[in-house]
Amino acid sequence: MHEGAIAESIVDILKETKEAENIDNIVKVRLKIGIMSGVMVDALLFALTALKEEERIIKDTEFDVIETNVKAHCVLCNKDFYFKKGDDISLLCNKCGMPLDIIEGKEMEIIDIEAEQ
Amino acid sequence: MKRVVVERKILERNESSAQKIRSILKKQGVFTLNLMSSPGAGKTTIIEETIRMLKDDYGISFIDGDLETDRDAERIKALGIDTVQINTSGACHLDADMVLRAVEKISLDCDLLIIENVGNLVCPATFDVGADKNVVILSVPEGDDKVKKYPVMFNAADVILINKIDLLDFMDFDMKKVKKEAKQINPKAEIIEISAKTMSGFDKWISLIERWISEANQY
Repeated sequence: MHEGAIAESIVDILKETKEAENIDNIVKVRLKIGIMSGVMVDALLFALTALKEEERIIKDTEFDVIETNVKAHCVLCNKDFYFKKGDDISLLCNKCGMPLDIIEGKEMEIIDIEAEQ
Repeated sequence: MKRVVVERKILERNESSAQKIRSILKKQGVFTLNLMSSPGAGKTTIIEETIRMLKDDYGISFIDGDLETDRDAERIKALGIDTVQINTSGACHLDADMVLRAVEKISLDCDLLIIENVGNLVCPATFDVGADKNVVILSVPEGDDKVKKYPVMFNAADVILINKIDLLDFMDFDMKKVKKEAKQINPKAEIIEISAKTMSGFDKWISLIERWISEANQY
């Protein structure tokens, strides 16, 4: 379960942010996780909850995950294709048969946080 | 209450370590492969045979990622190859910081560095380890449904090796279906059918590595 390592990376960034922004209690964190990132959201939330025991910085933090679908682009046809969770993802253009570029859906980001000052 | 815009990649530290590895290896003129598969797909055997075929013409170093043991590393060391073992003590994947520490220890007086990742079709796909090319191995006995089940891993591959094709006659493995599904999730990956037992397909695999090494040396 690599979500444990990802949860630790989130906490590291939150510690840096807390220091830099001079904030106190982090109430909420919004995360953006693509459905092709390889991260299972439930496993990540589980790992974050488990980390609360040892990381005081996230003791009372609520994590809000925004999952992004796959957006893929055909350069030749200038056409976008969208895939959501559970879809059969085919990265071949259904018009010209050329490979599509993934534009969205692989990201793993911290969008923003809400904190008490 | 204060809202702070963060907009940072969660794995930014891993990415920057991976870039560091790339620049060190590029400076030394070393071409690097990262091999990923589930346990038992034949990573170590493929690496052994690949080294046997290439070691007279190329300098090779080897980094082995393993949960606990150094059995795989010992097999490669026996071929006279400089080897560094990374024990992840239970972690399911290699990350760029682990590989960076190994790169600092290993002989870079070579043309080719082979990294054997931890046997797992999920976790290693998420962590860039600074290699030039990712190799994903699927073996026939694992079944022909694996590409669909592990799309993130197969999407990360530059080449997909389908190993143990000597067993095709004994398994219900639909090669056409596997190749079609692999093309859909990763249209750019080359697919090579091999057997590390009969050595079938190895000529193709070896000439692909040789082409990659010579391309890497042009820049």
